[in-house]
Amino acid sequence: MSFLPSFIPERASILADRFEALFWYITLTTATVGLLIYIFIIYCCIRYRRSRSPGTTPRILGSHRLEIAWTIIPTIVFFTFYGWGVAVYNYAFHPPEDALEIFVIGKQWMWKAQYPSGQRVIIGGNPANMTEAERASIGKLVVPLGRPVKLTLTSEDVIHNFGIPAFRSKMDVLPGRYTTSWFEATKLGEYHVFCDQYCGTWHSLMVGKVHVVTPEEFEEFLLGARSSQGSENPVDGSLAFQGRQLFMKLQCSTCHTAKPSARAPVLEGLYGSKVHLKGNRTEIADEQYIIESILKPRAKVVEGWEPIMPSYEGQVTAEDLAALVQYIRSLKRGTTLDRTEDFPVPVGAPTERPEPISPVKGKN
Amino acid sequence: MSAVLTRWGLSTTPPPEPPPAEPNYLNHNYSIWSWLFTTDHKRIGILYLISITLFFVGGGIAAGVVRLNLLAPNGAIVTEDVYNRAFTAHGVLMLFFFLIPAVPAVFGNFFIPMMIGAKDLAFPKLNLASWYVFMLGAACAAWSVLVGGIDTGWTLYPPYSTRASQASVVPGVLGAFIAGFSSIMTGLNIMVTIHKMRAPGLTWNRLPLFVWALYATSLIQLLATPVLGITLVLLMVERMWGVGIFDPSIGGDPVLFQHLFWFYSHPAVYIMILPGMGVISEVITCFSRKNIFGYAAVAWSSVGIAVVGFLLWAHHMFVAGISFYAAILFSFLSMLVAVPSAIKVFNWTATLYRGSITFQAPMIFALGFIFLFIIGGLTGLYLATLGTDIHLHDTYFVVAHFHFVMVGGMVMAYFAALHYWWPKMFGRMYSDWWSRLAAMIIIVGFFLTFIPQFIMGYHGMPRRYPNYPANLQILNVMSTAGGSILGLGYLMPAIYLTLSLINGPKASSNPWSATGLEWQTPSPPSIHNFEETPIVVCGPYEYAIGVDQMGRPLPEGPGEGGPIDPASHAGHPYPAGPVPKETEVVG
Amino acid sequence: MAASTHTSVLKHHFDRLDQQHASERLGMWMFLATEVLFFSGLFGAYTVYRLYYPTEFEFASSKLNRVIATINTLFLITSSMTITFGIRSAKLGDRSGLIRYLVLTLLLGTAFMVLKAFEYTADYEERYMPGTLFRSEYNAAFEAIFPTDPQQKPLSREEAKLYFEKDAQSEHPKHQHWAAELVLLNYRKSTADPDYIDPGKVQLFLSFYYIMTGIHGIHILAGLGCLIWLIIEAARDAIPPENYSTVEVVSLYWHLVDGIWLFLMPLLYLAGAGWVATY
Repeated sequence: MSFLPSFIPERASILADRFEALFWYITLTTATVGLLIYIFIIYCCIRYRRSRSPGTTPRILGSHRLEIAWTIIPTIVFFTFYGWGVAVYNYAFHPPEDALEIFVIGKQWMWKAQYPSGQRVIIGGNPANMTEAERASIGKLVVPLGRPVKLTLTSEDVIHNFGIPAFRSKMDVLPGRYTTSWFEATKLGEYHVFCDQYCGTWHSLMVGKVHVVTPEEFEEFLLGARSSQGSENPVDGSLAFQGRQLFMKLQCSTCHTAKPSARAPVLEGLYGSKVHLKGNRTEIADEQYIIESILKPRAKVVEGWEPIMPSYEGQVTAEDLAALVQYIRSLKRGTTLDRTEDFPVPVGAPTERPEPISPVKGKN
Repeated sequence: MSAVLTRWGLSTTPPPEPPPAEPNYLNHNYSIWSWLFTTDHKRIGILYLISITLFFVGGGIAAGVVRLNLLAPNGAIVTEDVYNRAFTAHGVLMLFFFLIPAVPAVFGNFFIPMMIGAKDLAFPKLNLASWYVFMLGAACAAWSVLVGGIDTGWTLYPPYSTRASQASVVPGVLGAFIAGFSSIMTGLNIMVTIHKMRAPGLTWNRLPLFVWALYATSLIQLLATPVLGITLVLLMVERMWGVGIFDPSIGGDPVLFQHLFWFYSHPAVYIMILPGMGVISEVITCFSRKNIFGYAAVAWSSVGIAVVGFLLWAHHMFVAGISFYAAILFSFLSMLVAVPSAIKVFNWTATLYRGSITFQAPMIFALGFIFLFIIGGLTGLYLATLGTDIHLHDTYFVVAHFHFVMVGGMVMAYFAALHYWWPKMFGRMYSDWWSRLAAMIIIVGFFLTFIPQFIMGYHGMPRRYPNYPANLQILNVMSTAGGSILGLGYLMPAIYLTLSLINGPKASSNPWSATGLEWQTPSPPSIHNFEETPIVVCGPYEYAIGVDQMGRPLPEGPGEGGPIDPASHAGHPYPAGPVPKETEVVG
Repeated sequence: MAASTHTSVLKHHFDRLDQQHASERLGMWMFLATEVLFFSGLFGAYTVYRLYYPTEFEFASSKLNRVIATINTLFLITSSMTITFGIRSAKLGDRSGLIRYLVLTLLLGTAFMVLKAFEYTADYEERYMPGTLFRSEYNAAFEAIFPTDPQQKPLSREEAKLYFEKDAQSEHPKHQHWAAELVLLNYRKSTADPDYIDPGKVQLFLSFYYIMTGIHGIHILAGLGCLIWLIIEAARDAIPPENYSTVEVVSLYWHLVDGIWLFLMPLLYLAGAGWVATY
């Protein structure tokens, strides 16, 4: 029966475990009672069917003792559900003080998340409703393992609901108001994010993924070196994202492109790799190497390329350099951007018009 | 006037079969105007029956579109916009135009006066007006569908419904608003009738439980519906003029709408289910030939549900941004309302004990009701429990839960009522075999449709999703397959009941050998129901003794394993237990 | 008179006349319960917002016409009295007295609606209505102090005050007094200021004002319709003493409508009676 969804859905947070315990307590209790009633009804239907018990029936009007028993006993059982339920809700409702806070804004039809350090990422939605820039930053909600994460939620238009089934968390997202939801992930992996409150035509596309990573990976993500996994580009707001914009602004992408017409080596996967330089030398492409190549490009020229790159000394600040390094660090295979309408060609730049980027297949 | 009877049963001979009273309510006048301007509660009941059947078909078609579309994870047949309109149409039609009027306006209208020995409801013209108002509301809803449909979901949450929706929201909302008045009129009429028009001797403790259930229902209709009315007015004002009190951009609070909406719509689910519970009490007793177990408990639990039902609306909003303390309060009250429902179920099952049970279609539907309602009720506990509601809220778990209560419960009870009272309403019997088969198919189809939805919901599939993760497809396919069986089951009564009108055997005045006053009239009933006002001498379910409410012996019951031997009653000792030794008839 | 015979008054489905009257009365009481719940939705919502935004509600209420409202209150209270005299006349079989009191009630109710119409007209002329009219007036007054044109200098608070005072005294004031006051009250305040008066929330009050008085007005109109019907019936001598409950039932409704006004009056008109502008 492997085609069926697994018996118990994936659990990836502390709340999920608490939910399951309560859920199965209620299930076992109610199923027992329900089955007993079923059995009693079926017994009566067989034992007291007309053909077996024809004629008279006893005139039974009721029993105060039974009425009291089956009023009080269910009440007590129900209130065990209630008490346990309040405990779980109390846990789910009150995030700890030291939780990492992420802002999530819902709008028709996308989720925009912003980290305290400035990264912004769109956690899915309907790409057809997005601007080019929004499409470019579609990614996943990256959260660290084993650390409380508090989501502060609000909406730009109608009511949405941010729910993560694997965490068993869910909260309405209201316009003009802030609500919170929190979780502590206990398992690495990717999980669905759903909009659970009907919000219009593309309600069912307002879905995305939350990605639970190790704390170390999360630190790297905050630096911008690691994209929000699945996004082809660094998240908006990060250092690497600034580097990406500089990369376009300084026209680096004109030569360092993945196209055959490239006049300079493509930088994908460069960071940390071994580079063959003219003069039969090799060097590890670390931070120092990249900075040097930007400021003094002709000092170390890669084998097979012409030394045509101008020096950017004086054009970039130290901060810019850090951003560029982070961007180059984050470049993975197939992620080099071409020039787009968002980054118009500066005056005096090579006039060859690049192809527009294809829509990002960021949807899960 | 008052009379004291010292013995059960005024006469010893079975009541003479009333002559096939020539002018009955159906044949005394055939003109269309005699129907459109009738003030006869029975004819108005039939008008309602015809209209809600139409809306049931409409809502069913919409449900079919929804279920078929869910066959594929990215929508099998329609676009997202059509899907959204389809599930909204399904919700609005089924709730406002089928479930709410189903039992009160059809069977309540038709049988409440007959069960309490009255000639008509207290306000016959108001009753007719309620049907016209209902149809006007339906016309508005139809208008909204014709100009493109409404895509807000039946819950109509602003600001989506007031600002964002591109659909024709106002006519749809207007339809629900107008239909609400019809509901108020029916409730008011039934309530006054029950208070003031009971036959001599029919004290509150002798009322059939169906009447009690309708009384509780009417209470909710009277007190909850106006709140929905004003809420919908506010919604329409905001939608039309862009000014209103739910608009967050000027400081309005969209959650307030949810409070007001659920203040009606939660009690409204009791408007839907309570009459069904009343039907079940009638049917279970009749087909197991037993007194109801715990009359007072069943009667008062109806009233208890109606009253407590007003106090727990916000359990629909546990994750809507209400405060922690509000949530724990409303969860507490929601637990309380589960108790009277449980009491009813226990009493029904206890009624079966030591009965003499036959399984005609009404009984199969009634047993189906109990089976399904148990699941529907128990799964409600998951949603009333705060800790589990967080995850299950707005998923298919909720969808399955309320379909178990509304369809598994209420629609099942509606069919039980239809089959139980059909011979009385039209004077014809339907096919026994086909009706039993249909009942079984409906129950099986229902299980197959909605059990997979519990699992889907547990796995987190949100409601109102035409696109869903591929691993849930198998469950959706199972549900749709079950739905097609259910649809087939619903088609069958349409056929054999229609056929019974044409060539069904004539029904006797009391084919089920039931005790209620409504069976003391000819089938179909005469124009004024009773030639003379009946005098009630005992409670409603004296099957053990074998007398009806007027104290006359019951006719022979329906055959299955042999009829009840009338002789077996002859030597029956006077009932043990707390039988009133002297029964006072109060004028 | 045929109408006074027992049988013609008793409807076919009732056994006795007292049963019929009791049913009518009970039905009306239940309808009144429905009406109370209908308005209670509004009162509930009003309460919530009044607690959220007390200052805005007081400000907005202070701009309504309390004089007309007071006169209207008197009209309605008096009309409740006259219709009660009408019941007495009906019970005594005093047909001319019945007609007299019903007409008096009708006149008082009509006077209420006429005054209400004047009030609405004045509100409209002041553009004191939520939505586009409100926004454009407020924006115009705002523009007068803080011009969008960067060439023009914004007015100081004193200049603005003088400007609006002068404008108000002119024959065709360019700015509605409420808009001017609102803008002055908010002069150089941020929206986060505790005493910032949010124009949005003022509109919220106005929404309540129009919806509540509007629905109440519709109820008055329905009551007037019933009164006219009663007068016609009485003129036809179709209300015999044993059927006085018809008048009673209508009077119950009329009292309810009056009663609701007695709640609307303080909630809408007196809420801002103590408002003092401090700018």
